Amino acid sequence: MRRLLADWLAVGTALVVIAMSVLFAILRTSNNFR
Amino acid sequence: MQSEGAIQSRFVVRGVVWAALYLFLILGPMFALLAGSHPPTRDFWTEFSAAIGYAGLAMMGLQFGLTARFRYVTEPWGEDVIYHFHRQISLIAVGLVLAHPIILFIIQPERLALLNSFTAPWRARFAAVSTYSLIALVVMAVWRVKLNIRYETWHLTHIVLAILAVGAGVAHMVGWSFYLDDPWKRALWIFFALFWIALLLYIRIIKPLFMLRRPYRVAQVRKERGDSWTVAMQPEGHPGFHFRPGQFAWLTMGSTPFKITGHPFSFSSSAAVDDGRVEMTIRNLGDFTSEIGDVPVGRRVYLDGPYGAFTIDRNPADMHVLIAGGVGITPMMSMIRTLADRADKRPVILLYGNKDWDTVTFREELDSLKQRLNLTVVHVLEKPPAGWTGEKGFINAAVFARHLPPPFADHEYFICGPDVMMDAIEKALSELGVPLSKYHSERYSFV
Repeated sequence: MRRLLADWLAVGTALVVIAMSVLFAILRTSNNFR
Repeated sequence: MQSEGAIQSRFVVRGVVWAALYLFLILGPMFALLAGSHPPTRDFWTEFSAAIGYAGLAMMGLQFGLTARFRYVTEPWGEDVIYHFHRQISLIAVGLVLAHPIILFIIQPERLALLNSFTAPWRARFAAVSTYSLIALVVMAVWRVKLNIRYETWHLTHIVLAILAVGAGVAHMVGWSFYLDDPWKRALWIFFALFWIALLLYIRIIKPLFMLRRPYRVAQVRKERGDSWTVAMQPEGHPGFHFRPGQFAWLTMGSTPFKITGHPFSFSSSAAVDDGRVEMTIRNLGDFTSEIGDVPVGRRVYLDGPYGAFTIDRNPADMHVLIAGGVGITPMMSMIRTLADRADKRPVILLYGNKDWDTVTFREELDSLKQRLNLTVVHVLEKPPAGWTGEKGFINAAVFARHLPPPFADHEYFICGPDVMMDAIEKALSELGVPLSKYHSERYSFV
């Protein structure tokens, strides 16, 4: 059960990192960060 | 004494703060690249690929921090959760680091030429070294046992490959210099790289330096039932530390605390002692533990601890249910001895699973401890002797129902034993309607 907690923390981190990487790419290709 | 709710909510807040800081340390350096002047913009997928490359590198660097044993950081979660997270997040970091070039190869196939290390520029060679090191590191960590690699060999290789993966990753990033042409951005990322190295130096050099000033001497080595040995250690020239019953420390045997590999063991002695003396009970599992019985009295050892969230002191309750399998009795023994020394009157039920009657570690002492506290011991034997009238087989929901007073959800459960047993017991408790917050376990099979 405790490992499940660690698993979910890792999955959550991965999702946040991927979402923020998408945001980074969107911002970089937008007019404001060219 | 603080209420359980107050203690738990304080740990939850601290846990959330550290998780947020962890995410900030991954994402902050990446978004800092958007500040100031920018290099020419590229297509979405190239920028996304660069972003996951930077994030993956930051995650790899922060791996040094997850295993740096910062007590204040790990306390809200427990070391076992942190180590398991370290392992799982490494798979995700590898995924991101591999996805980074794969995306670039798909959108620009001519970049595949960079895979030829003879003709590729240094920045691409560094990327290859970093990626191959990371793959080797993960393969060895996930399949160490199957590959039959000794723990000590694996540990040294793990550190070397990690330094290589992160070092070459930073060299690749600086060498490419697309985003890091701006001197302050380059300085920022080099600062982060130095911060990651500092995390490694902390655990490998600074912490052992502190331990060097706080040595212990082996005061006694006692044979116990179940092919186990209790090693008693006395602080030498310092007062030692106070631990909470159920916690553990990393034990390094020998004349130096700078050894790469220490081993985590629970304390088995009472936490209610004033002279700093601690005991660990270690079972012969065929690896380095087979030499424990030969450790001479007077041998210098080093302890890094105490660690762990698995303690009755953190979870005050009206009644404690302790569930142990084999040598999983050690933290429970510390809890029981401490409760006896504190003249605690609350009921304690120990469900104790073993293979047979002769190998029940602490059998006689548990019997005598019943005189000093409200302790009930239920032995569950896999191979009981002839005429045995007690519990047989394994600890399961039926055993709980026979020996625990309902409502089951009102007690605090502490579980320690082999992984298979812990999985089965967690499942059984869940079936009995015990909420997650009521059961506590700690696993020490980190790798």
